[in-house]
Amino acid sequence: MSSHLSYSMLSALADGQLATEEMASANQHLASCPACTSQALSQFVLKSTTAKAGRRYAPSPEFQERIAKLASGRSGQDARNEQARLQPRANVVRWGALAALLLVCIAIGVLGKTWLRPDRFATKDSALVAEVFDQHIAVMAAGLSPQVISTDRHTVKPWFQGKLPFSFNLPADLPTGMTLDGANLAYLGGQPAAQLLYSIGKHRASVFVRQPPDAESVHSLEAERSGFHVDGFRAGHLEMIAVSDADSVRLRELVSALERAQ
Amino acid sequence: MTLLPWKRRTGPGGPTPSSFEELALPLLPSLYNVARWLTADSAEAEDLVQETFLKSLRGFDGFESGTNFRAWIFRILRNTYLTSKSGLAARRTIALEDEWQKWDSPGAEQHPEAIIDRETPEVNLLRLADQAAVQAAMEKLSPLLLEALLLSDVEEMKYREIAAVLDVPIGTVMSRIARGRAALRDALALHPASKEFRA
Repeated sequence: MSSHLSYSMLSALADGQLATEEMASANQHLASCPACTSQALSQFVLKSTTAKAGRRYAPSPEFQERIAKLASGRSGQDARNEQARLQPRANVVRWGALAALLLVCIAIGVLGKTWLRPDRFATKDSALVAEVFDQHIAVMAAGLSPQVISTDRHTVKPWFQGKLPFSFNLPADLPTGMTLDGANLAYLGGQPAAQLLYSIGKHRASVFVRQPPDAESVHSLEAERSGFHVDGFRAGHLEMIAVSDADSVRLRELVSALERAQ
Repeated sequence: MTLLPWKRRTGPGGPTPSSFEELALPLLPSLYNVARWLTADSAEAEDLVQETFLKSLRGFDGFESGTNFRAWIFRILRNTYLTSKSGLAARRTIALEDEWQKWDSPGAEQHPEAIIDRETPEVNLLRLADQAAVQAAMEKLSPLLLEALLLSDVEEMKYREIAAVLDVPIGTVMSRIARGRAALRDALALHPASKEFRA
């Protein structure tokens, strides 16, 4: 090897991550190149120092106790209850956004009509609705481009290969005024899910596709929250949950198109 | 389709909540350490770890026993972080992978010796071994580079594991780790403490 080792190669050498052939080639070069040998030594020293410097923070005993309690023999339902009880401070930001939306709803006098209807949505699914709602709001607020940007279902669907342990279909034709904008890899309930992004006119919609953790209680996924509509369905091993501030009828059209494609 | 290493369990008689406890609790210090580095705030780090435990506990039925639990739970931590306040801010950081690849190619004009200043090797090694200076330099790293370095150097994960946690190709993992180290070296050269070596 005549040229010097690349910085990535030196870095991988320090990490012990070079393939056998690469390692042999690197060793051959290092034997005759003092500059690269010096750099390789620097990489090893820096890696060692980073390892020590990086072990900097430890959880407090109180926090360890709280987590241990949480992790010890609780069922999923207990976990949800615990989540509701503990109200993590990180949620303050998201709930702040929800509060702002709520104020808007009050201002336009639609609170009574738009708040969650408990008779239509089981308590068990409230956490799911909240998570779907939060993720949709977070993506919209961040204003970031989708991880895969395409209006072509033949581009979006294959992008999930290797990222999701399941597959799904996307409709060839969408209702008038609706377009596929792209998709993100998301997580719902700690499991990987697809977040499909659609435009319904000037409104944005997220459709989360996942494998439900259990097959029980197939029910309507319709709900309304702070002016946003949630709709969805289960088909076989898949669950699709759509959320948008678009009209519920229009959202239903999108959901129906997706349901027909499965 | 390639299945993820933590693909959904389909058979009965899977892991019990107590096995979740056995798997997850030993990782608490590591998860908290990474969360604390990424969020730069102890309260936010606690929230992040707590939410990670809640999500992973809820999704534990979908975890296949015997596969890589550490990568699975770190991935949940990372994805939870991305939707947190500091995570959303971090996502605005633009990764200049292409520029790095051009700069890092073996045929590029950049010589390895040009990466750091031309001090004697002994001075450079002393600087790189300065733990306090490295900590200060790590605080200035972008979250993208910091998380890759933490998983590699502190958690001692293989590139393949890191790629699974970060959901990026292995080449990107290599690039981020190398860029992170280059950034650390740059910062160390500028660190006030390093001036002592020059005097």
